[in-house]
Amino acid sequence: MKKIIISSVLAVVAIYNSIYIESLDELKQKKESNFDFAKYSQDLYQQILSKSQAVELSQLLSSFATKDHASVAKYGNRLGIGSSAYYLVKCQAKILEVQGDRLKVLASGNRPLEIDTKFIFGNAIRDASGLVKLTDFKTTAEFNKISESLNTIIREKAIPDEIKTVKVGDTIDLVGAVKLGEKQEDLLNLSVLPIKISKI
Amino acid sequence: MKKYILITASLILGVFLVSACSKSQSNEKKKVAVVISTLNNPWFVILAESAAENARKLGYEAKIFDSQNSPAVESDNFENLISSEFDAILFNPTDADGSVSNVLRAKAAGIPVFCMDREINNDDAATSQILSDNYSGCVEVGIEFVKALKEKGTYVEILGLVGDNNTWARSKGFHSVVDKFSNLKMVAQQSGDFDRNKAMEVLETIMQAYPNIDAVFCGNDAMALGAYQALQAAGKTKVKVFGFDGASEVIEKIKEGKIVATGMQYPKIMAKTAAQYADEYVKGKRDFPQRVPVEVELVNSANAKNY
Repeated sequence: MKKIIISSVLAVVAIYNSIYIESLDELKQKKESNFDFAKYSQDLYQQILSKSQAVELSQLLSSFATKDHASVAKYGNRLGIGSSAYYLVKCQAKILEVQGDRLKVLASGNRPLEIDTKFIFGNAIRDASGLVKLTDFKTTAEFNKISESLNTIIREKAIPDEIKTVKVGDTIDLVGAVKLGEKQEDLLNLSVLPIKISKI
Repeated sequence: MKKYILITASLILGVFLVSACSKSQSNEKKKVAVVISTLNNPWFVILAESAAENARKLGYEAKIFDSQNSPAVESDNFENLISSEFDAILFNPTDADGSVSNVLRAKAAGIPVFCMDREINNDDAATSQILSDNYSGCVEVGIEFVKALKEKGTYVEILGLVGDNNTWARSKGFHSVVDKFSNLKMVAQQSGDFDRNKAMEVLETIMQAYPNIDAVFCGNDAMALGAYQALQAAGKTKVKVFGFDGASEVIEKIKEGKIVATGMQYPKIMAKTAAQYADEYVKGKRDFPQRVPVEVELVNSANAKNY
């Protein structure tokens, strides 16, 4: 009898140790590499600001309005196939209104703009920067994680700190990302994802 | 003497037959195989037929193989088309990991593989992968979702096939936005296998436990239509439904205000690009980008008239 009990216990222990269950989400996370996305994105954020290859917003929009395709192509970045491209832009603007997480500003050339400080998501900023290539990463999932990390830095740290220092009537320097379609005709109601807002 | 004449005549005949045969082979059209995960979904039928049509336009003989969402059937399809010496494969995989071995077998046999819409987890097996930018598309759907729900409420997510990278790219894009809003609570997340009927059944079961949900996010439009059907049957007409694909039936429902939004994918562009790449490969080009993202556009009530 004792023998049977010992054998059963050993069998249970053996079976217990031979199987383990984990959720699909955990498994997928484990399969991804140990790459330090946070550090990479912090460096990328600094590079975006220091390289300052942003085009003046007025210059970009004037190229768009005059259908200067060569200039538009030069300023924009598109990773694959599509009718839109992302642009890294800069301008000076006066704050007209603060509506929750949106700033309404008047940019140089009397151009009204909306700066969306809440919905800083997606690949717009990464792709507008032109500094990250799809071939730098083994999978699309890793490539997208760069955006998530970069957006988190901008949305949760940089921009909240910066907008604390500004109020209606202030003039700011804005660096941001904007998505424009090839055939986009409405250039008046633009929304810019901010990367840096500095009070002048 | 008679023997020599016979041997000589046979040799001449042999040479003639070989030359005739090789001449007929050189006149034969090159063959492109279109291997599709399933033809039980209209979206994939469009992808398959567009790929075959584009290959034919480029002068190839094209044949469509249906993998019936089964890696085993897909493996049989590859065995068949490798032994039939196809010149290129336009491929929509059933499984991001499971399909890699099939692509490697084709590669070893010297047949280039161009993935369409679905990614495989290997960046050295396929010649190129032409893929919808599912992540960015679902980020936009996620933003629309947050705005439509005014940042609060409970919701259900119905995932596609768990072995497909698109399922997770869409889910991650969506959650990269929605999870930042703490008043939006996901009460259930379950797979509907990209299938309309399964999604309907899944949501019916979930609603028994959570009858008061505010929204449903589905990983494709077929499942969004299944979810919509389940909600209609339960009399829950105020629950907001979101899909992904850009199916014409869903676009109509967006115009009617019955579904909130979807992400418009472009299967015809992916199919055309894959066929063009295959043609370029056959003509000698070898340098292709491993991954080519294809833009996805948000379709909502404001712009549905344009689609």
